[in-house]
Amino acid sequence: MTGDHRPGLAERQAELVAALVAGGTPPAGFAPGPLAAARAALLRKRAGEVARHWPLLAAGLGTAWPTTFVRWASGRPTSGSLRDGWDLARTMRERGTLPPAGAEELAVREAGLRYDGRATPRPRRLPAVARAGGAVAVQIAGRVRLLRPARRPPAPPGGVGGDLPDAAGSAPWISD
Amino acid sequence: MIVHAASGDTWGISGPTFLRFYLVANAVVVAVAVYHRVRLLTGANAAAGPLGAQQLAYLNGGPALAVHAALGGLRGSGAIGVGPDRRLLTTGPAPTGLTALDQAIHWAAHQRSRARDLPGEQRVRDALDQLRTDLEQRGLLLSPAQRAVVRRWTRVLAALLVLGVVRLFAGLTNGRPVGYLLLTLFGVLAAVLLLWRVPQTTRAGRGVLRDQRRAHTHLDPGSSPAYATYGAAGAAMGVALYGTASLWALDPGFAEQAEVQRQALGGWSSGSSGTSGGGGCGGGSSCGGGGGCGGGGCGG
Amino acid sequence: MTGPSGIGIGWRPEIAGFVAELPGLRFVEVVAESVPASGPLPSGLAQLRDRAVTVVPHGVRLSLGGAEPVDPARVAHLAAVAQRVDAPLVSEHIAFVRAGGLEAGHLLPLPRSREAVDAVCANVARAQAELPVPIALEPIAALVDWPDDELDEADFLTEILDRTGALLLLDVANVYANARNRGTDPLALLDRLPLDRVGYAHVAGGAEHGGYYHDTHTDPIPPAVLDLVGALCARHRPPALLLERDGDYPPAAELRAELDALATAAGLPAVT
Repeated sequence: MTGDHRPGLAERQAELVAALVAGGTPPAGFAPGPLAAARAALLRKRAGEVARHWPLLAAGLGTAWPTTFVRWASGRPTSGSLRDGWDLARTMRERGTLPPAGAEELAVREAGLRYDGRATPRPRRLPAVARAGGAVAVQIAGRVRLLRPARRPPAPPGGVGGDLPDAAGSAPWISD
Repeated sequence: MIVHAASGDTWGISGPTFLRFYLVANAVVVAVAVYHRVRLLTGANAAAGPLGAQQLAYLNGGPALAVHAALGGLRGSGAIGVGPDRRLLTTGPAPTGLTALDQAIHWAAHQRSRARDLPGEQRVRDALDQLRTDLEQRGLLLSPAQRAVVRRWTRVLAALLVLGVVRLFAGLTNGRPVGYLLLTLFGVLAAVLLLWRVPQTTRAGRGVLRDQRRAHTHLDPGSSPAYATYGAAGAAMGVALYGTASLWALDPGFAEQAEVQRQALGGWSSGSSGTSGGGGCGGGSSCGGGGGCGGGGCGG
Repeated sequence: MTGPSGIGIGWRPEIAGFVAELPGLRFVEVVAESVPASGPLPSGLAQLRDRAVTVVPHGVRLSLGGAEPVDPARVAHLAAVAQRVDAPLVSEHIAFVRAGGLEAGHLLPLPRSREAVDAVCANVARAQAELPVPIALEPIAALVDWPDDELDEADFLTEILDRTGALLLLDVANVYANARNRGTDPLALLDRLPLDRVGYAHVAGGAEHGGYYHDTHTDPIPPAVLDLVGALCARHRPPALLLERDGDYPPAAELRAELDALATAAGLPAVT
């Protein structure tokens, strides 16, 4: 073997992971196309998993969920789906972009669990109140109650008769 | 044996005499009240045939939950939707095989009713009354007449309690000993409190609900059931057994737009808007970590 | 206890009710990390055990391909789950999921170097020392290729299997995905693998996206993958084949149809 230092397996693996999830520089020799595809696929998969833990937040954003999540999560390694969604929800709360159902979901979670942004969320033992987007949730002895729902935009005046497009944002996808 | 009224006895009846008659009267009334309660609350031995989702919903959470279960089924089969004005709408003709309640709701949706106004619609009310009568005939619900019977005797007991309290105050103002009377009154009060609430469902009804919930644990919203796999029937059953949280899990966009209240377990009061702690996964632990991914390229 | 046999399906809580109603089902696979080491089993799983359905724990986070030694706690958990469900074997992947303190969030391929072979074999040996049952190893589908590979896929896998004595969990969908994304012939790889070492096989669906075929587990099985299953069974039928579906579950009728199609392609009895 010549004097060139060949990185060991650990180093090579660490480089690849960093390139895929933390925006690190791509290691030498990797084709850029598959690397980008893998990065995108990883983010899409993460978006799906976070949506499972934060269904109301994801549904509230509807078709904008994948892009919203991917934009936020790019270059940010995962800390688990629960924390990923929590961090995103908190960021959106600060910016005021939380959808109403997502705000209620965040308020309920914040009241029930304590999360400092660094460690795994833990159940709260003491009573707590949490707010998000106008929603107020209170937790006493482990039972959470939504005291006030989130601010919702007023409904536009409707027309009469059927044949309006369904506004639920989800196609009727179950047949029986 | 006649105890002559001593001077100063309250109302002219001596303490021990009153107490004796009072205790006997209370015992009789309590016995009758308990007898009626047990007889009626046991409920007839079931069931002509299995219960549908809407009947279970009525049993679990009253007419409001029955309406929500029907909404779940209709939404699951793609028959109804909700417009931007938050009023329901129909997305096509009614599918086949609908119950009376389904048809009533579908018709109301065609009239652009709101989800929360549905229990007030005439046809929906008629269908709900039909459901109720059916459940009463199966002995799973107490009819208003039966509840009145049970309550009547509790009311008599309450009247006796009032009598006792009046006697107590009369005795106090007269300066008579009221110790035993006071003790008795505590007992009567306890009996009244215990017997006051007359539940809607019989023991048989609660047993049916318990069995059905055990048979359908896979529909618990906490397990994120795949409603597409379980179909519209599964969706309706999920709402019936686990409340409107199922409706929110099934189609959050629809539930939000139609302004469906979120309750974990359906109660008979439709007003509460409490939520149970945390949506899909409240606690971390195995939820945050384990994915469902077994394949390599499952990043895609 | 004998190994898994026949057609099986991945047990997931989302479709627990559907799985419980499959009349001919004799085996399922469950993600090991989703089963607690103590306390009650997920209720659908307990019911399957009562019916004597074989349950195979499938690890996804052990990172056996990592340069670091595998975490003993994770191995202990896998062993505990195997005991709880009375499993005949367990399975994991020839891949790594974390490195340099970062979680990748999914399975990443190893460089096909001697050093990597050594690392995998060492970790598998560490795991085998603690596991009460044999382990089957699954090669993954990967979008990225390492530069400077020393071995080709078939030699790489065969060497690992020979040195560890482990079984092969042959994921037909992964073989298809890898071949399709590189323009190679999947049958060529199948012909060079030790098919008599297959403990059971995986089949899953995928979709084309951005010019690549992704083994998503959330799509129907493409006909080409079913054809590959047929070709595999013509050479050497594995004792069991498992349908993997992880999300976007279709109506029950579609799932049943997929299980039947798989049974037909494999020449095994239907379970629906």
